[in-house]
Amino acid sequence: MNDLQASPARAELERPRQWILTIENLNKAFDGFQVIRDLNFYLDKGELRTIIGPNGAGKSTLLDMITGRTVPDSGTIEFGPDHRYNLTRLPEHRINRLGIARKFQSPSVYKEQTVYDNLLLSLPHSRGVFSALFYRESQEDRDRIHEVLQTIRLEDRKHELAGSLSHGQKQWLEIGMLLAQDPQLLLVDEPAAGMTDEETERTGELLISLEGKHSIIVIEHDMDFVRQIARKVTVLHQGSVLCEGPVDKVQSDPHVIEVYLGRKAGRPDPAAH
Amino acid sequence: MQAFSLTTFVRGLFLLLACCPLWLHAQEKTTGPDSRALFVEALTADNDRANEILQELAARGATEVRPLLEEWRAGGIYAFERADAQPLYVTLATTPAQEETSETYIRNVETDELVENADGDTLAVEKGDLDPLFPSRRLRRNLLQIVDLIALGSPEASERAEAAIALGLKGDAGYLTALQERREIEENGAVQDALDEGIALAQLSLGDRETKLEAVQRLDELNSIPALDRIRALQREATAEGSDWSAEDLAALQTAIHDLEGYLKWVDFFGTAFRGLSAGAVLLVVALGLAITFGLMGVINMAHGEMIALGAYTVYFVQQGMAAAFGPIGMEWYFPVAIPVAFLVSALAGLILERSVIQFLYKRPLESLLATWGVSWILQQAFKLLFGAQNKNVESPTWLLGNITVHDISLGYNRLFIIGFAILILVGTWLLLTKTPLGLCIRAVMQNPQMAASMGISTSRTRMATFAFGSGLAGLAGAFLSQIGSVGSGLGQTYIVDSFMVVVAGGVGNLLGTLYTALGIGVIDNTLQPFLGPVMGKICVLFAIILFLQWKPGGLFPARSRALD
Amino acid sequence: MSTLTPASKDKNLWAIAVFVLIGAILLPLLNMGGVVAEFQLNTWGKYLCYATLAVSVNLLWGYTGLLSLGQALFFALGGYAFGMYLMLMIGEDPNYHTRLPDFMDFMGYQELPWHWQPFEHAWFAVAAVVLVPGIFALIFGFLAFRARIKGVYFSIITQTLTYAAALLFFRNEFTFGGNNGFTDFKEMFGLNLHAVSTQRGLFIASVLYLAACLLFNWWLTRTKFGKVQQAIRDSENRVRFSGYDTLQYKMLIFTAAAIIGGVGGALYVPQVGIINPNEMMPVKSLEAVVWVAVGGRGRLWGPVIGAILVNAIKSWATVQFPNYWLIMLGALFLFVVLFLPGGVASIPEQFRHWRKKMDARRQAPAEPMKAAEPVAEVETAKSST
Repeated sequence: MNDLQASPARAELERPRQWILTIENLNKAFDGFQVIRDLNFYLDKGELRTIIGPNGAGKSTLLDMITGRTVPDSGTIEFGPDHRYNLTRLPEHRINRLGIARKFQSPSVYKEQTVYDNLLLSLPHSRGVFSALFYRESQEDRDRIHEVLQTIRLEDRKHELAGSLSHGQKQWLEIGMLLAQDPQLLLVDEPAAGMTDEETERTGELLISLEGKHSIIVIEHDMDFVRQIARKVTVLHQGSVLCEGPVDKVQSDPHVIEVYLGRKAGRPDPAAH
Repeated sequence: MQAFSLTTFVRGLFLLLACCPLWLHAQEKTTGPDSRALFVEALTADNDRANEILQELAARGATEVRPLLEEWRAGGIYAFERADAQPLYVTLATTPAQEETSETYIRNVETDELVENADGDTLAVEKGDLDPLFPSRRLRRNLLQIVDLIALGSPEASERAEAAIALGLKGDAGYLTALQERREIEENGAVQDALDEGIALAQLSLGDRETKLEAVQRLDELNSIPALDRIRALQREATAEGSDWSAEDLAALQTAIHDLEGYLKWVDFFGTAFRGLSAGAVLLVVALGLAITFGLMGVINMAHGEMIALGAYTVYFVQQGMAAAFGPIGMEWYFPVAIPVAFLVSALAGLILERSVIQFLYKRPLESLLATWGVSWILQQAFKLLFGAQNKNVESPTWLLGNITVHDISLGYNRLFIIGFAILILVGTWLLLTKTPLGLCIRAVMQNPQMAASMGISTSRTRMATFAFGSGLAGLAGAFLSQIGSVGSGLGQTYIVDSFMVVVAGGVGNLLGTLYTALGIGVIDNTLQPFLGPVMGKICVLFAIILFLQWKPGGLFPARSRALD
Repeated sequence: MSTLTPASKDKNLWAIAVFVLIGAILLPLLNMGGVVAEFQLNTWGKYLCYATLAVSVNLLWGYTGLLSLGQALFFALGGYAFGMYLMLMIGEDPNYHTRLPDFMDFMGYQELPWHWQPFEHAWFAVAAVVLVPGIFALIFGFLAFRARIKGVYFSIITQTLTYAAALLFFRNEFTFGGNNGFTDFKEMFGLNLHAVSTQRGLFIASVLYLAACLLFNWWLTRTKFGKVQQAIRDSENRVRFSGYDTLQYKMLIFTAAAIIGGVGGALYVPQVGIINPNEMMPVKSLEAVVWVAVGGRGRLWGPVIGAILVNAIKSWATVQFPNYWLIMLGALFLFVVLFLPGGVASIPEQFRHWRKKMDARRQAPAEPMKAAEPVAEVETAKSST
């Protein structure tokens, strides 16, 4: 049980150089309501981490602060080996250029552009105003896009408008857009929402296949999905880490059960959301 | 602040009600024909009798003959000889042609009516045929005094008080006596103060040093603003070379000046605050409807200005109708009737607009902006065609005219009324939104239409009702604006940019923000105006808002949402 | 749309070429031959300038989703900048013996204020036509976009901006002629403004300038920049989270649009012979938006069609139905927004769409016709072109 607790002492012990994301003493309040409270969070390079937690635990706010959408009241968010970059003061696009890509809760794609163009716009170069004006598509770019199209299985729909895709396909397209950016860290907010069982499973496989090459944080409610992908699970509650560890241990943790009070013992209810 | 304004407002109302009978009474007393008849008698009487009559008129305070007295002194009263009867005493009246002609209409001094010929047509006579009457030299001097003094006997307390100060400032020994005499018999407290002030002012220029110092002290106590310049002059005199004023006396002068300057600042501050408050109240009333349709529903209704104009036109027609049906009483009490009617008419128009156009565009806010702008054009032109291109003047009921003066700050009844009414509307809207089932529905639908729909709320109907309500508020705003300006098809347009800014700067969907920004803009605008003029003040406020949004992009009270875009 | 057709095969490019042929060569020749009257050429020149303003609105609203309700401000600023030059070219007044613009003379100025002096040089005026709207847009764009003001808020802020500017220009103390603005121009670059040849030259310049604007617009939509622009319209946050600094993109496009409008205004002023603060009133900017909406936003030719169509109807209707013209325009606008969101330029497309549907229906087993309404809609809209 002891090794499940994210005690600061343990964090101190386990802070070798390969942490890609280091979050310490993070605080954020909205209108006096403490959404994130003294949060500490460490992510290993190449790790696939799942974050769960009841509504209002601060999961999305945490991602907002990592990606620069929300500025924390206090605390540090450092990225890269040697804690090279402090993310708390950078604007969104700069954070993205460091290699952090995010998928949103509801699919966010360019509805009035083709699937192909959606991916083209996600390639990690020529993003300045003038380089975009004089950008010419290279064979390399085309290959990269086709590679991603194959991965997300949308090759045959590449000339269709993204708005005409089904919900699940949009989710995939957005994941594809993340892949096209070739990020070091992927932040994925509820990827399985609105997907069929088959699509969900394939999503899980995709995420697992990315493990190692990229570091990934997944926020998810669907516990079947969590069990499919999870190596290590972090449970957030009221803005701080309640416990951390392998999925089975977390599910049998009395604190977690208490938090998800009234749910099936040891098993956070997916319908909690 | 709310409480302050409400009580002031209520007090104002009571005052108004209390004044009504007094006012009617006063009318009766002063419009009696005998003052005019006395005046006519004086025209032909010998000097002694004429003087007697003038004293009598002054004692009565017959201010309505004052213009006649002035005319007489200047040789503006003529005897119009008639073949078969007594000569008629008349003043000249301009002909409607307004052009340079040798002919003129004449007005009977006794009846104050234009003289007509046998056929009942207005009589035009050659100017050369009229003989001016000139009072004797002694009488002339008396006339001058009487003209000044007559208001001191006026039955209107405010006229007496005004005259007391004016006479005091003249620094004339004769007037000083008159003021002192009047002070003996005066019963009204406010006028007593004014008389004291007048007496002290007169003493300031007439008395010896002892009296002057006493007067200064009394003026200081009375917070006399007109005295400030006089005392400053006195100080200049006293500190001039060769003057033998003691340091103690000089200090007394300095204290009085300091006190009065402080008082003046105070008056200026509260005067500005009050004007700003009432300007803010107008903005608030205008913006409140927008805060509902734009803030809560996200619909940019560019025809909001026309809803305002519609409300104002409604007031105009209600006034016309009631004046025709009930005469003067209708004129006096049309406004309370017009207010709900204006609300209903605009609400109905809003309802039609919502059903016919806006309901199709809820998902496309920019397009609802454009469509309603088309509607705005159509309505503006329709108003012009239906109601005429000329602006209409709505006459305010007498109980909205005039003002009360509290410590030299003049509070116009119409401004007080607007402040009070703005608060009523604000509180009413707030209660509707927070304490009624309808308000609950509105908030539910605006926050999450799908969820609300699944809870069995008809989103379509709720939106319709909300939009109608917002438009109705615009109608109320129009009712107001009809009282402070003329009514035309472009009435709403003048306020639309301002009110959009109020809603945006206040934070969309937040009534409190709307309140703060409306009052803030009103007060800032009124504070800047004396230095920058009305237009520059407005420009500064507009730029200030743009800069303010740099600092707080979501307005004072930003709405927060979890949605991505 | 995504796979780019080669430039030589793009119909739009051919259309621009045809437009230049007709506008810059054929019409002036016909005018010299006496077939086309001067005033007609002048009227069309005016419409073409409006069209450039519409193109600038379309760049912002149609392609980037930024509905600016203050675009006419930049048009007017360009017009004012060039108008200052034209005012100084009027020369000495025969009655008052002064080289100062008459309103300055009335206000008691003895010499030109410092900010007027450089406008005596044509090159400076031409540079100012580009720079004044450009710099102003850059500053305002920076403030507005940095604060992330967007959607309807952006519309309202831009409307406020142009309103405030109009109030400022209405003031005599602002040294730009107050209510009356600038008028009674005589010369431009040493040419007599009232000469037919000068007006013809201005017309040709307007044609070429509009063609250049269209070419720029066409080119831009084909670049990655154009795609980013449209992506910002769809989902700005996604663009930001894909590593693009949308602030720079929006500032650049806002500035470019302002310059396009400003130069259009500079061409407009010598053709109509007057510029005053009414051109900055919010209503003017809204009118430009109407042109784009009616013509078809997000389409290359939409704003041009809209500007010419609406203005042509306007000049006809203001004479024929002076009292009902505003109602007609409002109704037209309402109709387009509600029933024809793609504007007039989308009619052929809709017609094809409808034909396809009819064909499909004809092949399918006979079904009751229930498409009567859209048919009527397309046809009435078409007949109005």
